[in-house]
Amino acid sequence: MLRVRSLSVRYPNGRLVLDGLNLQVAPGELVVVLGGNGSGKTTLLHSIARLLRPSAGEIWLGETDLCKLDGEALRQARLELAMISQHPSLIRRSSVLTNVATGTLGRHYTWQTAFGGLPRRELDAARDHLAQVGLVHLAEQRAGTLSGGQKQRVAIARALAQRPRVLLADEPVASLDPEASEEIMRLLQNLARTAKLAVLCVLHQIDLAYGYADRVVGIRGGRIEFDLPREQVSRDSVQRLYVRDPANDAAGDAARDLAREAA
Amino acid sequence: MSIDMSVDATRAALPMASGARSWAGAVTVAVRCVLTLLGIAIAVQTFIVVEARPSDLITGIHGMADLIRRAVPPDFSKLPEAVWPTIQTVDIALFGTLVGIVLAVPLAVLAASNITPSRYAYYGARGIIGLARAVPDLVWALLFVTAVGLGPFPGGLALGVHSVGMLGRLFAETIEQMDMAPIHALELTGARRIQVFTHGIAPTILPTLLGISLYRLDENIRSSLVLGFVGAGGIGFQLLTAMNLFQYQEVSLLLIIIFVIVLAAERMSAALRERLA
Repeated sequence: MLRVRSLSVRYPNGRLVLDGLNLQVAPGELVVVLGGNGSGKTTLLHSIARLLRPSAGEIWLGETDLCKLDGEALRQARLELAMISQHPSLIRRSSVLTNVATGTLGRHYTWQTAFGGLPRRELDAARDHLAQVGLVHLAEQRAGTLSGGQKQRVAIARALAQRPRVLLADEPVASLDPEASEEIMRLLQNLARTAKLAVLCVLHQIDLAYGYADRVVGIRGGRIEFDLPREQVSRDSVQRLYVRDPANDAAGDAARDLAREAA
Repeated sequence: MSIDMSVDATRAALPMASGARSWAGAVTVAVRCVLTLLGIAIAVQTFIVVEARPSDLITGIHGMADLIRRAVPPDFSKLPEAVWPTIQTVDIALFGTLVGIVLAVPLAVLAASNITPSRYAYYGARGIIGLARAVPDLVWALLFVTAVGLGPFPGGLALGVHSVGMLGRLFAETIEQMDMAPIHALELTGARRIQVFTHGIAPTILPTLLGISLYRLDENIRSSLVLGFVGAGGIGFQLLTAMNLFQYQEVSLLLIIIFVIVLAAERMSAALRERLA
């Protein structure tokens, strides 16, 4: 279970980007976050992944408050928290199988993975995860040769290999065609249900949110406008999220800069 | 109304703009003239400083012809004696390149601004790399001959230290230019720093590093030929000895061997680098 309590993030320029946000995602649940540019969606995910340090609030992953962690404790906590992004960042020259199995690196001592090696059982498990995303036939192929949709599925398989409790997805279909986008969303929905993952997914595609989310959270100006089961979310309330606010656009740029610096 | 006004304003500004343009043009022409004269002056002073006398080339042609006459045919009976120095020459280069790679990799990791663990380590590593590169390999060879005596070992050390400078800089630049997104993605999985290096950074940059190393080996083979002139072993030392003893037929044989070694190294290095690309 992922629980966010009174989460606030203030940037060094003084702007409050997240303002006392409360949210929770249960195992097996796919929650989609909608909102305009600069509304705080990505900042929310980056805060949960602790790429940013929140100004106030709590982020509970099970019984652990991520906001209180640093160094080795934070690294250990991250094992249970996987993240995929718009551009699936794979090691281009490594095989698809190796890329997936690298999701397990943090669970092994350095000597067990010396010289680029990985335990046999993890490679076998990686093959199973590739089968889950329908790409086991490409296991030995170099990651750099895959299409955008295939890369995203490999990134999801790597996230699964990590054996996380929470999966954060930051605009995972932003650079994919409609067919590939549907495939990825279907996959995330299945994984949430079958692997009992708590999936928190930021999207811009409203129809995908209506099609696959269990709950939809609307954010505007760093505050939650609504948090409802998808059947209860009206088109009007979604449209209101996208009314342009120049201040929010600036905040979006600042968020991206800050995340880059943090990374 | 406002359109008319802006047209009038533009017309009024035109003479000023064209005046400014002609001034700028004149300054550009003047700067170009000064730069051209400066270039000519630099070229002329080089002739004066090196005491260039083209007439000496004409008078010296007889000496050259005499040298060539005495160098042909090459003395192939000396071939067995040249085998060991040839092996030494290639091995000096290989040793130097290996030492260079082993020391340059950790230094490059510290000297790459995107992955260095601290600013102090960055500046320290950059300093070592800069020093190793700034001092020519021939000077390093002289220093090592003084320190450890004559033979191939000082030659290997000299090439090793100089290679640290050359490889360290190129390796660090390769790391700095790599796409960091996959590396950050790996960090986010909870992988340790060393695991991120072995499974993320190394496979990404390895082909480029191997290509650079092969090119360095090619360069080191050329350099190891010359290092013998200062007593650092190899075929260069035999070449110097043969010249001092006026054994020009042996000199021509050694020059043929050098030609073959350099050409073979160049071709092999190019072929391997092409396969890695």
